[in-house]
Amino acid sequence: MSNILWLDECTPECAELVGGKALGLGHLLRQGLQVPPGFAVSTVAYRDFVEGAGLGKEIARALEGAEGPDAERQASERIRALFRSFEPGQTILDEVRSAYTELGNGQPAPVAVRSSATAEDTPEASFAGQQDTYLWIVGPEEVERHVVECWASLFTPQAIAYREHLGIRHDDVAIGVVVQMMVPAEVAGVMITLDPITGDRSQISIEASYGLGLAVVGGEVTPDRFAVDKVTLELRSRTIVSKDIAYRFDPDVGQVRVTEVPDEERGAPCLHDDEVVALAGIGKRVERALGCPQDIEWALGSGPAGGRDPFLLQTRPETVWSRRSAEPIASPDEPILSRMLKNIRIPMRLKDAPETAGDPASGGGR
Amino acid sequence: MAEQRFPSPFEVQTPTGADGWERMYPYYLQFSEENREWEDGVMWFQDGMHHPEVEFPFDTITHECWQIALGGYNSRIFAVPPAYGIVQRIVNGYVYITPVPVSSEARMAERVDVFMKRAGFYYENWNDLFAKWKVKMEGVIRDLQGLEVPTLKRLEDEEVVTGAQGLSSGYRLMSAYDKAIDNIFLAWQYHFEMLNLGYAAYLNLFMFCKQAFPGIKDETIAQMVAGADILFFRPDDELKELARKAIELGVAAAIRKGGPPEAIVEELRQDPNGKEWVAAMEAVKDPWFYFSSGAGFYHHHRSWIDDLTVPWAALTGYIDRLEKGESLDRPKQEILDRRERLTREYRDLLQTDEDRATFDQNIGLARTVATYIEDHNFYVEHWYHTVFWNKMREFGDRFVEGSFIDESGDVFYLNRWEVGQALYEMCTTWATGGPARGGRYWKREIADRKRILDALRDWSPEPVLGPVPDEISEPFTVMLWGITTERVKQWLGVGEAVPENEIRGFAGSPGQVEGAARVILSASQLGEVELGEILVCPITAPSWGPVFGKIQAAVSDIGGIMSHAAIVSREYGLPAVVGTGNATKRIKTGDRIRVDGNTGVVTILS
Repeated sequence: MSNILWLDECTPECAELVGGKALGLGHLLRQGLQVPPGFAVSTVAYRDFVEGAGLGKEIARALEGAEGPDAERQASERIRALFRSFEPGQTILDEVRSAYTELGNGQPAPVAVRSSATAEDTPEASFAGQQDTYLWIVGPEEVERHVVECWASLFTPQAIAYREHLGIRHDDVAIGVVVQMMVPAEVAGVMITLDPITGDRSQISIEASYGLGLAVVGGEVTPDRFAVDKVTLELRSRTIVSKDIAYRFDPDVGQVRVTEVPDEERGAPCLHDDEVVALAGIGKRVERALGCPQDIEWALGSGPAGGRDPFLLQTRPETVWSRRSAEPIASPDEPILSRMLKNIRIPMRLKDAPETAGDPASGGGR
Repeated sequence: MAEQRFPSPFEVQTPTGADGWERMYPYYLQFSEENREWEDGVMWFQDGMHHPEVEFPFDTITHECWQIALGGYNSRIFAVPPAYGIVQRIVNGYVYITPVPVSSEARMAERVDVFMKRAGFYYENWNDLFAKWKVKMEGVIRDLQGLEVPTLKRLEDEEVVTGAQGLSSGYRLMSAYDKAIDNIFLAWQYHFEMLNLGYAAYLNLFMFCKQAFPGIKDETIAQMVAGADILFFRPDDELKELARKAIELGVAAAIRKGGPPEAIVEELRQDPNGKEWVAAMEAVKDPWFYFSSGAGFYHHHRSWIDDLTVPWAALTGYIDRLEKGESLDRPKQEILDRRERLTREYRDLLQTDEDRATFDQNIGLARTVATYIEDHNFYVEHWYHTVFWNKMREFGDRFVEGSFIDESGDVFYLNRWEVGQALYEMCTTWATGGPARGGRYWKREIADRKRILDALRDWSPEPVLGPVPDEISEPFTVMLWGITTERVKQWLGVGEAVPENEIRGFAGSPGQVEGAARVILSASQLGEVELGEILVCPITAPSWGPVFGKIQAAVSDIGGIMSHAAIVSREYGLPAVVGTGNATKRIKTGDRIRVDGNTGVVTILS
């Protein structure tokens, strides 16, 4: 069986095979939503690699007794160095190369190489940000090298610590890799299909800044924030801040790097209201298709609809509010008038309020 | 913030030229030494929602009517547990109000059972009671319309004798005035018969939705409740029908000719088709032209029936649109479909079955009361008040005939008690043949009051007087008057700093546009509005509806989410920022402004 699955082939039956990220993207594609084209490298390839290189024992040895941040960091460095020192098998190399060539129509296209862990991105446990993402990778060798980096990213110190925290066995996890066409984003960010502060499920919350999304995801800029009503798709609020830096691809150095945002653009809203509403509309569709609140990464970049066409880069179930058990606001069995009374409150609260008028027992008004 | 306070009502200075303003108003509407301890201990806010302008002495009757009606229902009839009524005072001619809480826990508890039983009765029988209410209310209106305001003739008619009437015109004139005053108090009793219970049911849904969906906008909740057949749209619908008829009868060109509408109507009568059209208009005037160009609370906000300028502008606009082949139909089905979709989608977002059951109950009750909330206003503030103000003008005519005043509108410079006094003197001197003091006395007084009112008109009322409450939590105050803890902080100058070119209000209707401002201070200026401008006005009235077809956004000084400006803007799909406080003072016609109806911010660009 092939180690490569195109993103639209990543159906729920393949969950174990491709990991959460690829699965989410597959869902989006099948809903007709715009996702940059790409493929997944299956977890079988990861297991073959680990097995072929005899890494299992080495990993176990490195992790033995590794408790506490320092020890975990040292173990992580050793394991990741081990990953880099082995060459994957020829079959997988050929398959990745062939898929990459097909993706770029024969051209060496810039792609993002991102990890897609199997235990990742379930509502029960968010592994968000625990594994690495590599942007603007060009050329088959580079892609192959970064696939291995993604495999190794299963053993970053934070991933190790997180699994320890949740009591997940390190050999229970496997990792898939997503290779996806790069969207040269004008603006990018995240969107949560509820209000992360209040849990309001009738809201879609969007954060956005200039350039690639990693500045927002990594918390390197304070983004513009927008709130949209999920039902009416009307803008509820808009907070515009100064956005000083942006990650952009620099063709001169052939790399993504931090650039300064021109003065006149910093304080301007990075999204037009129409774009905000269009994104929220997409968010609403995604939530409906997937059946629960979602945490979505998106970008506006060159696509069929022009230079600011919305793309979805990732979606995963929202975990914080979704895990809370919902308490009813009021009991429908309580008489409506009694519920109503709770809302009719004393008009104004004054610390040193004078004795008021109005008590008939005290003489008709005084 | 408890140490901070707004000026005491006792510290407010009388503006230059307004000395003696106090004598225009009844003693009980004034701050006094007798009540100083209590009056100085509570917060007062200017009721810009209903009474934004300086009060003509006679016009205080409208709030005197609502003060006793609202209070009576809250305090004594339905026994709303935590709240008595709302007390009014006048400072420099402007109305200030404060709600009275029930301060004792024991008293509050005692009121709960009474409230549950009595309010429960109204909710259970709402539709029946509303049907009866309409009959009662129309009865009050017809009674007033039929009330004769007799002239004082040199000699009484023969029938007084042959019919053994036993009454003189002098007596009948005084009696007519007493009946008219009694009648408006009655109308306002009915106004509040169901209103606060209606609001309470509305609020019950609002509060539930706010708990379930903290970010939901008030206007969205309102949309889940609103019906498509609001009485307020009826006058406008009648104009559309008249526009169709004008085309059908071939009189469109004559109607659009220009010049005063009244003159055009006279010309139309000369031609059979024109005559038929005029007859059609006359047939719908009562009651649909009893539609104030304001909120109905002032005698000088004239109605369509008194002045055809506003409906005529709309009518010609509709004829133009029909000739261009546009449809004038309001998308009623779409409104209803949208209402159902919103309701279903929010319901689906609720997390538990209990919540869905509660939501269904709350929405059911809110929809039951909604028609009353939406329609009572046309009955009372528009239809009834139009009849009332015009009836008062008839008394004004009698005073002119008796040489007590120079023109009938001067009657509004006397308060309601003074009108009674002057009427007694006039009728008495008519009877005795003795000299009347009133002619010179009142003419001098009226001249002086014109000066005082002019001086008061230039005064900007303080929004709030007295100590600052720690919290304003009473939802009616928030919903109806837009008074929130935040707002009060802003007025105190301790809230968030607002850039100099920004004006904050409430997001009344979503959307954002930029354009040229047109500041309109009264309905008579509506003709100045040009296509694509942004209307900036103190308050809009439902009868301004047609002008919304021309503008691209609206900004008002006064009003909350449920204000007419907000409702009409949403109906027309225009961005609106309402309740800015002072947009008409800070924006000038021709200024380029940005209106953000999503956030409630107006920015003056240049």
